Amino acid sequence: MKRKKVFRIIAILGVAGLLTGGGVGLYMFNMPQRDVQSADTDYSVTTTQIVQEYLENKDAANQKYLASDGDSKILEVTGVVSDISEDFNGQKVVLLKNTEDPAGVSATFTEETESSLNGIGPGQTITIKGVIRSGASYDEDLGFYLHVVLEKSAVI
Amino acid sequence: MKKSILLSIAAALFISVAGFGQSGSKLVSTKTQITFFSSTPAEDIQAQNTAAVSTIDKSSGEVVFSVPMQGFEFEKSLMQKHFNSDNFLDTQTFPDAKLKAKITNPESIDFGKDGSYPATVKGELTIKGKTNPINESGTVTVKGNTVKVDSKFDVTLSDYGITFAKGKPSTNIAKTVEVTVQAEYK
Repeated sequence: MKRKKVFRIIAILGVAGLLTGGGVGLYMFNMPQRDVQSADTDYSVTTTQIVQEYLENKDAANQKYLASDGDSKILEVTGVVSDISEDFNGQKVVLLKNTEDPAGVSATFTEETESSLNGIGPGQTITIKGVIRSGASYDEDLGFYLHVVLEKSAVI
Repeated sequence: MKKSILLSIAAALFISVAGFGQSGSKLVSTKTQITFFSSTPAEDIQAQNTAAVSTIDKSSGEVVFSVPMQGFEFEKSLMQKHFNSDNFLDTQTFPDAKLKAKITNPESIDFGKDGSYPATVKGELTIKGKTNPINESGTVTVKGNTVKVDSKFDVTLSDYGITFAKGKPSTNIAKTVEVTVQAEYK
């Protein structure tokens, strides 16, 4: 009788454990992407500041801004709109660049954030929040400077 | 004195001609899409990247792609974390991949005439700091002022030091992944 009870408790605990473990596993597996716009900003910079930081020491800047799991730093970048274009998927891309700098910050918007660009055009100074994907550098093979790349961006 | 003036004029002329020639023959693309597809019995994994920058030099036939690796976007957050982690692509230490190749059949591509031309390229692909020779084919499509490039090729992960001794990704990611490249140049 007592033995039966013990078995029952073990069985219940086992099933509960399996359910929790499976649940956590399933949650991890299906975990959605981080919502960049509602997450806290890690650094606020100007286009000139971040471009200079990258051109001075790319490796140090990558260590500072890029995360090893890809959830890299969330930046608020202030600069002058130099160009607005579209990427291959039709998403809006804003280039913030000071005319005196060799490179700028290229920020890709999403369908949800696109409307934050309404009424914004070249020459205006704006602040964009987004996640950094890569830094600025001179690419010898391309023969020009690469911009800092932000994604999941929005004007704030 | 006169000689040095002449020399400097000659040098200035040469530089301006060289500079002009380069900007005239180089096509640039920031409108790119690179996808990779991995298929295993466990699951299919796909990721896409629209942040790559590319050039084609019409006169030398040189093709370059610079790909920011953290720009690969996955459906699931966990896949993206695995992809970026140091036992897979280690994108913090190796943030860019690079393709540097030369068109091997430039005589069969007319950048000045509308049409679709099969192209072959030979060169090098660098991923995770490791460089391997590549020999791939694709299509160059010329229409008015735009040039499009399409290519599809396989990348064997172990060639680039991407291996999994153990752990979940080893059973869920194929040993060879299919890479699709599309770019629009102006």
